[in-house]
Amino acid sequence: MDKFRMIFQFLQSNQESFMNGICGIMALASAQMYSAFDFNCPCLPGYNAAYSAGILLAPPLVLFLLGLVMNNNVSMLAEEWKRPPGRRAKDPAVLRYMFCSMAQRALIAPVVWVAVTLLDGKCFLCAFCTAVPVTALGNGSLAPGLPAPELARLLARVPCPEIYDGDWLLAREVAVRYLRCISQALGWSFVLLTTLLAFVVRSVRPCFTQVAFLKSKYWSHYIDIERKLFDETCTEHAKAFAKVCIQQFFEAMNHDLELGHTHGTLATAPASTAAPTPPDGAEEEREKLRGITDQGTMNRLLTSWHKCKPPLQLGREEPPLMGNGWAGGGPRPPRKEVATYFSKV
Amino acid sequence: MDKFRMLFQHFQSSSESVMNGICLLLAVVTVKLYSSFDFNCPCLARYNALYGLGLLLAPPLALFLCGLLANRQSVVMVEEWRRPAGHRRKDPGIIRYMCSSVLQRALAAPLVWILLALLDGKCFVCAFSNSVDPEKFLDFANMTPSQVQFFLAKVPCKEDELVRNSPARKAVSRYLRCLSQAIGWSVTLLLIIAAFLARCLRPCFDQTGFLQRRYWSNYVDLEQKLFDETCCEHARDFAHRCVLHFFASMQSELQARGLHRDNACRSPEPPAVPEPPEVLDSGSGKAHLRAISSREQVDHLLSTWYSRKPPLDLAASPGLCGGGLSHRAPTFALGTRLSQHTDV
Repeated sequence: MDKFRMIFQFLQSNQESFMNGICGIMALASAQMYSAFDFNCPCLPGYNAAYSAGILLAPPLVLFLLGLVMNNNVSMLAEEWKRPPGRRAKDPAVLRYMFCSMAQRALIAPVVWVAVTLLDGKCFLCAFCTAVPVTALGNGSLAPGLPAPELARLLARVPCPEIYDGDWLLAREVAVRYLRCISQALGWSFVLLTTLLAFVVRSVRPCFTQVAFLKSKYWSHYIDIERKLFDETCTEHAKAFAKVCIQQFFEAMNHDLELGHTHGTLATAPASTAAPTPPDGAEEEREKLRGITDQGTMNRLLTSWHKCKPPLQLGREEPPLMGNGWAGGGPRPPRKEVATYFSKV
Repeated sequence: MDKFRMLFQHFQSSSESVMNGICLLLAVVTVKLYSSFDFNCPCLARYNALYGLGLLLAPPLALFLCGLLANRQSVVMVEEWRRPAGHRRKDPGIIRYMCSSVLQRALAAPLVWILLALLDGKCFVCAFSNSVDPEKFLDFANMTPSQVQFFLAKVPCKEDELVRNSPARKAVSRYLRCLSQAIGWSVTLLLIIAAFLARCLRPCFDQTGFLQRRYWSNYVDLEQKLFDETCCEHARDFAHRCVLHFFASMQSELQARGLHRDNACRSPEPPAVPEPPEVLDSGSGKAHLRAISSREQVDHLLSTWYSRKPPLDLAASPGLCGGGLSHRAPTFALGTRLSQHTDV
């Protein structure tokens, strides 16, 4: 446990190595999944290609979608995409940045699966065994004598050593070696291509859009933090709400009991016990409520947060949220806090 | 456990150590990759050379690119290369230094692969079995040239029925393996000697220039990291203030409504003035926001950082950019604030 915690700490120590760590873990998981999977070629002419294509393409798709689903930021992207602009304009560059960074990380596992499948060779062998050039590799003179379906049936059994009966035509080992060699060559070319693409994208980016990149990075990080802080604030509020609610309930119950006990004797009890002084802790809780003390208001607050996010402008008098036009009390001195900051300089 | 902790701390201690750690990790991954890769020579005349040489060269290239990708300093180097000069002039020596350090570290994993392949011998045997001179081996005297070529192509495949248990195959295979290992060890020796000479003789040439370039390239890297951290802190405080403002506006709105409705009679308690944001701030919150409190200001700050980096002179009079640098609150020491990152 200690070891894992330290590895985790090392990976989290800077953002770059954290992302590299996540990519490494997903690559390992994908490779492990492949080695645990029991490949089972059907060795029948029509089915080989379909099975192999399925194994080559379906798990990468599943892994890609899984990578997107497991990333917490997908819901953040969807929220930011679908929210009404309200008082805060939407920036498509930020959405694009968020989508690109998520897609890049989700693509690691599928790429590793495809690479490992090609480098292993079983899938390719299963798919293309019927396309082997028999004339070049085996007894070329005997091949034209066979009808095509018979040849196909014979060659389809190449991946299955226990039922292969075509040694007179083509040695199984020769065909297997040939196809695996091509599969491995394709696999390495694929790996080379993807690393080249990743390298070009990463190195060439600072040459073109560095400012836009800095802005998008900042604002997408901001959106993430803002969402988390809003959730934290709501949780604090909910806690305070619950505490005050329960306290009020107990006080009311206490008050009812007292009324019940003294009903016969002191009918004017309410005057003294009407407003029992709440304990000191309750004042702090009420402050945390920030004046939002009922369900309807809280619901309106949450709706307003989604429909009409506040503008990215601090230190300015906020116009009314509900839009009823009433400006409230005199404007608080808007520049006071800004002047305080400048005075530090 | 203590050993691991010390190891991790050592690797985290400076950006160079982090890069060395990643380089080492990549070398270990290369060894694992090579040992788990299932070598499969096609044993066909034209394909052997392609496969053997391809396997000797393509994976090292991919590993080299991976080494460049995994190294953060390559991006920092390109950014430093492409930035506009602004208030801070560019020093090509720094960029050259960073480039050479990045390349040296990225070359480690490919070299490990090539050396492993040569010392193991399978690649070499597969690639050059057809190029062997049959005159050297007596067993080929009775065969026609095309038969010889066919036989030689099968040499890398031990289990093939044509060459199974054939002394000629073993002779050719041994010869090629010996050659491969000789080349492998020679390359290793050459590399070690070159590295040793480079390291020993470097202080003889331009040592001060080297020290300066090392310092400033380290500085550029740290500055970039610290800028990212400061942006994160700023975003956090900005978000905090924004959320609290939102709650406060809701509260003042309610009170305004409350006052408006109960205009005639006094409300039971005086409306609590919503706490002005000053109270919500701690001292550190103010320091982090630094008067950058709107979207336009943040965008302007980021584009100025790119297009006009501040001069490397802390005592200069504070201009638009200089002010930010000379009044950075000393709340972080260089190299020790590597925590609290949230990922996007």
